[in-house]
Amino acid sequence: MLTGKEKEKYDRQMMLYGFGEEGQEKLKRAKVFIAGAGGLGSPVAIYLAAAGVGTLRIADHDTVEMSNLNRQVLHWEKDIGAKKVDSAAAKLRKLNPDIVIETIAGEITGANVSRLVGDSDLIVDAMDSLPARYILNKAALDKGIPFFHGAVYGFEGRVMTVIPGRTACLNCLYHDVKVRKEKFPVIGVTPAVIGCIQATEVIKYLTGMGELLTNRILNYDALRMKFTEFTIKPDPGCTHCGKMLGERRR
Amino acid sequence: MSVTIEIPSVFGRYSDNKLSFEVEGKTVGEALHALGTQSPGLKKLLLDKEGRLVRNYDVYVNGESAYPHVMTRPVRSGDRLNIVMIIYGG
Repeated sequence: MLTGKEKEKYDRQMMLYGFGEEGQEKLKRAKVFIAGAGGLGSPVAIYLAAAGVGTLRIADHDTVEMSNLNRQVLHWEKDIGAKKVDSAAAKLRKLNPDIVIETIAGEITGANVSRLVGDSDLIVDAMDSLPARYILNKAALDKGIPFFHGAVYGFEGRVMTVIPGRTACLNCLYHDVKVRKEKFPVIGVTPAVIGCIQATEVIKYLTGMGELLTNRILNYDALRMKFTEFTIKPDPGCTHCGKMLGERRR
Repeated sequence: MSVTIEIPSVFGRYSDNKLSFEVEGKTVGEALHALGTQSPGLKKLLLDKEGRLVRNYDVYVNGESAYPHVMTRPVRSGDRLNIVMIIYGG
């Protein structure tokens, strides 16, 4: 049940056709795991908090550095040296005191990912490394929960939504490729756009509205100001989801 | 057999900011090598010493992935190829 305050706060989004109080209650009941509280994690968390998603569980093992501040808008100069999850939680609790913010200040590994994600309804991939993204993709498949991928480089970004057993997964896109992790260029407006699209997908999924960004990847090239869609087919040979796809066909 | 290859804006530094190319080729591989002839900077970036596509990149033909047989994937006149870099930043 929504409180009177919540009905007032979320009035404009409950006006949306197909959303209503029922949609708001779905958001309130939801628990979202956000992997990463950096450039992507910041807009994702801010907009999901503002929309009234009931529980945000945020994981990040880093501390705030000066060089984060051009894009990681949840963190300010006064937070330098603080754990990112603590810095993020402080802002988000002020933005929306009516939701629950859970924090995990630790590294996500293959050994602990299942426990960290726990009973979350879905995973938002806001990480900064490909191995960590693969771990999360696999965890989402294993748990049978959706996975909302986003990535950025410079003025370019990419988004894709994965529904386990039904759509292509992150590894259908990248085929176990390994790339050397390097410091990458980025300007804050790029993860702002991509993170907002990820948050939009999460809200659509939780409320059952619209058409999800599945079996396709949306590529954003800000210098051309151009969005391009590419088709991604579920790969029966995928080492992450191929077996699951095979079982579905039987 | 002319096809169009579009590259990401971030590759502009290797191609004097030219982001779209018309090249000849019957396969993705031939088209990429023709691209390399037009732009040595892109050749160095995209192709390894054996002339294969470096694994950091994917190619899409008319919006569909050319994986797994990227270099031998046939192309037809008027096809649009997109080269996409694997990105992981957050």
